[in-house]
Amino acid sequence: MNLSLHPLILLLVFPGGLFLMNIGLLYEWADRKLVARFQSRVGPRWFQPFADTVKLLAKEEIIPNGVHKFMFQALPIIALTGALTAALYIPMFGFEAAFSFEGDLIVALYMLSMMTLSIGLAGANTLSRFTIIGATRALTQMFSYEAPFLLALLGPAIAAGTWNIGKINTFTGENIWLILAQPIGFIIAVVGLMGKLELPPFDAPEAETEIVAGALTEYSGRGLALFHIGKNVELVIGLTLVVIFYLGGIANPIEFILKSAGLFLVVSALQSMFARLRIDQTVGLWWRLGALMGLLQLLAIIFGRYLGEILR
Amino acid sequence: MTEAKKEKFIVPIGPQHPALKEPGNFEFTVDGEIVTDATVRLGFVHRGIEKACETRNYTQDMYLLERVCGICSHVHATAFVLGVEKLAGVQAPPRAEAIRVLAAELERIHSHLLWFGVAAHEAGFDTLFMYTWRDREVVMDILETLSGSRVHYSVNILGGVKIDIDQKLSDLIKKDMDFLEERTEHYMKVVTTDETFLGRTRGIGTLSRDRAKLLGAVGPTARASGVKRDVRVNAPYSGYKEFPVKMVIDQTGDLEARFVVRLKELYESYRLIREILEKIQPGEISTRIKRKIPEGEVISRVEAPRGELFYFIKSNGTEMPDRVKVRTPSLCNWGTITDVAVGHKLADMPMLLAGIDPCFSCNDRMVEIRSDSQPSQMMNWDGLRKYGIEYYK
Repeated sequence: MNLSLHPLILLLVFPGGLFLMNIGLLYEWADRKLVARFQSRVGPRWFQPFADTVKLLAKEEIIPNGVHKFMFQALPIIALTGALTAALYIPMFGFEAAFSFEGDLIVALYMLSMMTLSIGLAGANTLSRFTIIGATRALTQMFSYEAPFLLALLGPAIAAGTWNIGKINTFTGENIWLILAQPIGFIIAVVGLMGKLELPPFDAPEAETEIVAGALTEYSGRGLALFHIGKNVELVIGLTLVVIFYLGGIANPIEFILKSAGLFLVVSALQSMFARLRIDQTVGLWWRLGALMGLLQLLAIIFGRYLGEILR
Repeated sequence: MTEAKKEKFIVPIGPQHPALKEPGNFEFTVDGEIVTDATVRLGFVHRGIEKACETRNYTQDMYLLERVCGICSHVHATAFVLGVEKLAGVQAPPRAEAIRVLAAELERIHSHLLWFGVAAHEAGFDTLFMYTWRDREVVMDILETLSGSRVHYSVNILGGVKIDIDQKLSDLIKKDMDFLEERTEHYMKVVTTDETFLGRTRGIGTLSRDRAKLLGAVGPTARASGVKRDVRVNAPYSGYKEFPVKMVIDQTGDLEARFVVRLKELYESYRLIREILEKIQPGEISTRIKRKIPEGEVISRVEAPRGELFYFIKSNGTEMPDRVKVRTPSLCNWGTITDVAVGHKLADMPMLLAGIDPCFSCNDRMVEIRSDSQPSQMMNWDGLRKYGIEYYK
């Protein structure tokens, strides 16, 4: 479906900006509620994330001593902007992407990584020991999941023969679901997404029983709220990406809702199934297993394409 | 950066920290993620209960001492009551002693399940935390039905107990024990087979048998290292003479062993509770005891869920004790943490702390160090206040 609206509306209201932020909060609620139900708790009511965010935005932002003030205030904005910009290149909710060009997959992925980079910088910017350890862990974790996650998303891109997310969407919609053709890639993509979003069991960078809130310990008020919104937006985008690449693409909003809800169930279940991994365990898991499997998958795809061409 | 390298990088955990449910201060010197030094500082929740005991009579003390711990309240009252009864030369009736053991074992179940949840939470396994605490409600409900209270049961009185069990209650408890046993079997499977959980417990914080003995570890911490220390077996008291328990021992000494030992103790508690309910004899549940306790000193030892609980009571022949000294099991186990912490990762620290099942408010004591060169000084309230203001200026 195509959306012929003024570019500014596309950017600020729908499907970017305002709408994405709100849907992010809705996703956060769904995540909290699902995990709560898996843990046999009741869970929050639907407006809880909205209430939290509004409250945080209204509160005083305390800037601790010894930080670079401009950086401290700019980093949450950069993180959120990065996530929102990434959304422009992705056909959200079944509509065509606001902007697209050949190779926008790479741009979108690196825009998503802005978040982790900002969190790392934010942690290193403050003097607290918890934030510094949190930042180190966040960046370490980024270096471990980023490569396998990218490899997992490259699989479908190579199969489709394009690095344009919109075209990949059309390709996956026309062929069989790639989860069947590339199951390893799907697993890596989902688990990599969880690592990217620092969801349990990959929440070592913000392990509350060790380092309080990790890199964001010193953040309060607006900065913290912006980081939260950014993370929620990233959750929406990440899930959408995996749905586009592995679950047969998105042709219309209903398909989007159904498929991402299904994927969300899996992600929430995974969140509540494991004990938190230590950061060295995370790195080991990704480089010993994740990257290797991703490479194997990639080789298989390339070989398969090569073979297909010969046969043809 | 060069200057920062010279400095030690110390991560403070506490007195206020999400990992701690009670205030305590731990300073871990880290090199990257590896801990190179650990110190413990306690004393944030000193409440002066021992001193307060001296101004109350024995009955009031029993209720006061129950408040030493919010988790193992019954066992404190039992230790005190057993000591006082020994001083008075009174023997509680057999039925009373059996009910004391019953309450103590129910308390052990609730304490171990609580610990299990907290330890799982420290490992970032919140699902297990929520599940164990849900199942813990079953035993909390039993305790509430039994005594009318969830935390401070006040089962004991001097010379016996004040609650009795009937057939209906007995059936209810048996049914709930079956449920809990089934759940515990499930948890045992999780603890010994779940890969991510094992990654956080197996081979972590290994305390050898010799070190455990040397550091004076008690309770499940010591038993997980193969030290045969259980007051219920070594020096049976109260109803444990009639209803003996088997000591649960593990030789490994790591965190996994501590989980396994505590879970196996749960099985033992279920068995013991069923046995008591089967074999309990009808009869009186209390005897009379004089208000004034004869002069003398007594040591009373019982096995709390966390290990050996030690009471020293000195009577001067009046209604009030001359001195009550409490040594709680957590105090004995602190040394094991600083001993094994070095060389582990920072992420393991909350697990190690939780591994001994610490109870902070129980073990905070005031220590007066007397030296000849510096005579001790007395301060009145105003003087102390002034000193405090000056000190922190």
